[in-house]
Amino acid sequence: MSDSIGIRSSSANIQTFKVFAAVITIFLASIYLISSVLIPIVISLTLYALFEPATIYLVRHNVNHSLSILIVLVLLLFVTFIAIGFALPQLIEQAGLLQAKLPQILSKLEGFLTHYNQQISELVGTEFDASEIIITMLSESSSFAQSLLLSLSNKLLNIIIFLLLIPFLTYYMLKDFRSVRNRLMNWLPNSSFELGWLIYHRVSKQLLAYTRGVMIQSMIMATVCIIGFSIIGLDIPVLLGAMTGILNLIPYVGPIISIVLSLLVASAMTPFDPSLLYLSVVVIITAQVVDNVVVIPSVIANAVNLHPVEVILGIMIIGAAFGTVGVILAIPAIATAKIIYINLYTDIHNARLKSVAGL
Amino acid sequence: MSNIFWSNIFKKGNSELNTIAQLWQQTPLFTDIPARQIEFLSAKMHVRQFRAEEIIFNQGDQGAGAILVLEGSVRVMANKTELAQLESGDFFGEIALAETDRRVADAYALADSSLVFFLKQDLEEWIEYEPRFGARFLMNLSSVLAQRLSQANKIIASQQS
Repeated sequence: MSDSIGIRSSSANIQTFKVFAAVITIFLASIYLISSVLIPIVISLTLYALFEPATIYLVRHNVNHSLSILIVLVLLLFVTFIAIGFALPQLIEQAGLLQAKLPQILSKLEGFLTHYNQQISELVGTEFDASEIIITMLSESSSFAQSLLLSLSNKLLNIIIFLLLIPFLTYYMLKDFRSVRNRLMNWLPNSSFELGWLIYHRVSKQLLAYTRGVMIQSMIMATVCIIGFSIIGLDIPVLLGAMTGILNLIPYVGPIISIVLSLLVASAMTPFDPSLLYLSVVVIITAQVVDNVVVIPSVIANAVNLHPVEVILGIMIIGAAFGTVGVILAIPAIATAKIIYINLYTDIHNARLKSVAGL
Repeated sequence: MSNIFWSNIFKKGNSELNTIAQLWQQTPLFTDIPARQIEFLSAKMHVRQFRAEEIIFNQGDQGAGAILVLEGSVRVMANKTELAQLESGDFFGEIALAETDRRVADAYALADSSLVFFLKQDLEEWIEYEPRFGARFLMNLSSVLAQRLSQANKIIASQQS
C-alpha cells in the first residue's frame, strides 16, 4: 500500500515537474520578449504594489478612480523631485569626496594587507603579493568604471525614455492592471480556472507583502545608517547610508558589503581614528538589530517562507544568469516558483489519487 | 448592431450584469447588502461556460470561491450520492469563500450552463474597500455555513438511526 502511494507521489512529481517546466519556459519566453522594457515594467510594478493602497483609500472616500491615481502620481512625482533636489547635490558632493579618497582607501587597504601579509599567507597556506592584488583591483575597477560610463552615455536615450515611460506605465497599471489580468486569466480552460486563480492569489499576496516590506525595510535601514554615520562623524554619511539601504535588498551578502564599505571609508579618514572602525560597524549592527527586532517581525514576517539555503542557492544561480537585477529579484522569483510548484503538485497528486480510487 | 471588431468583447453586457446582481441579491449571502454594492461586486465576477457533463470541480480539488448558476443546471454529488440538483439562481461551493480548502463534493454540469465564479480574492478586495458591508456579508456567510452544517448533521443522524 505504502509502495503504491510512493509510486503515485513520484509519478505526480514527474507530471508536476513537466507542467512546472512548461510554465517557467512560457514565463522566461515572455521575459525575453519584453526584455528591452523589463526594467521600467519592474519599476512600475513595484510602484503599483506600493501605491495601490493609496488609490484604494481615495476611491473609498468617493474620489473618482482616475483622479485618485492622478493625485497619487502627482504627489509621488512631487516628493521624488523634492528628494532628488535635496539629496542629489549631497550625493554628488559625497561621490566626489569618495573619488578623491579612493587612492587613500586603497593605500590603507594595501598597508593592511602588507602588514598582515605574513599571517594571512600562513593562514591561507600560500604566498601572495598584496600590491599585485591592489594593482589588479585598480585596473579592473578603472576599466569597469570606464565601461560603465560608456554604457551609461550610450544608453542615455534609453534612460530618458525609461524615466518618461515609468509614470505612464504606473498610471495605466494602477488604472487597468486588474482588468487586463482578468482578461488573461479568462484564457485558462475551465479545468484550470480555479487553480490558476488560487496560484495567482497566493503569488500576488506574497509578492505584494514582500515588495512593500522590502521597500520599507530599505528606507528604515538607510535612515538609521545616515543618522548613525552622521553622529559618529564618518565621512559621506548620506551616500554610505543610502548605499546600505540599497545593498540591504541583497540578503546576507548586502549587509557584509556595507560593513566593508563603511570600514574602508573610516580607515581612509584623516587623521586615522581606529575607534571609527568599531563605531561604523556598531552603526550597521544597530541598524540590523532594528531591522531584525522591529522591521522584519512587523513588516515582512511570513512575506516569504524560504529556507536560508534556498535563498543563497537561488541568489547564486539567478544572479549568475541575470546579474545584479537577478540578485535583487532572486527571492521573489524563488518564492513564486515554490508556490506554483506546490500548488501544481497538490492538484496533480489529488487528481491521480482520485483516478486510482475510481471516483 | 455593434461591430465585434470594435466593441470590447470582454466587457460584460449590462443586462447580464444586472441578471447576475439580481440573482445574487435573492440569495441569503447578500441579505441586507445594498444593490449598488452587489452590482459593484458582480462586475468583478467571472462568467464561465460549461458543456453538458463537463466537470466543474472534483471532491478534493482546491476551491477558489463560490459559484452561482446563471443558466443551465448542475448536479452536486458526494461518494456517488446526489446531494443536490441546482438551477438558475442557486449557488454552491461557498465554503471556499471562508477557506480555500479542498472541495467536499463533486459537481458537474447537467446541461450546457453558464456559471458565475465569485472568488475569495475578489471578496477580500471588496472587504478592504467596504469593511462595513464586508462584515455583513461574512455574517450572512457564517449563517449559510451553519445551516449547511445543521442539515449535514440531520442527514448523518437519520442515516445512523
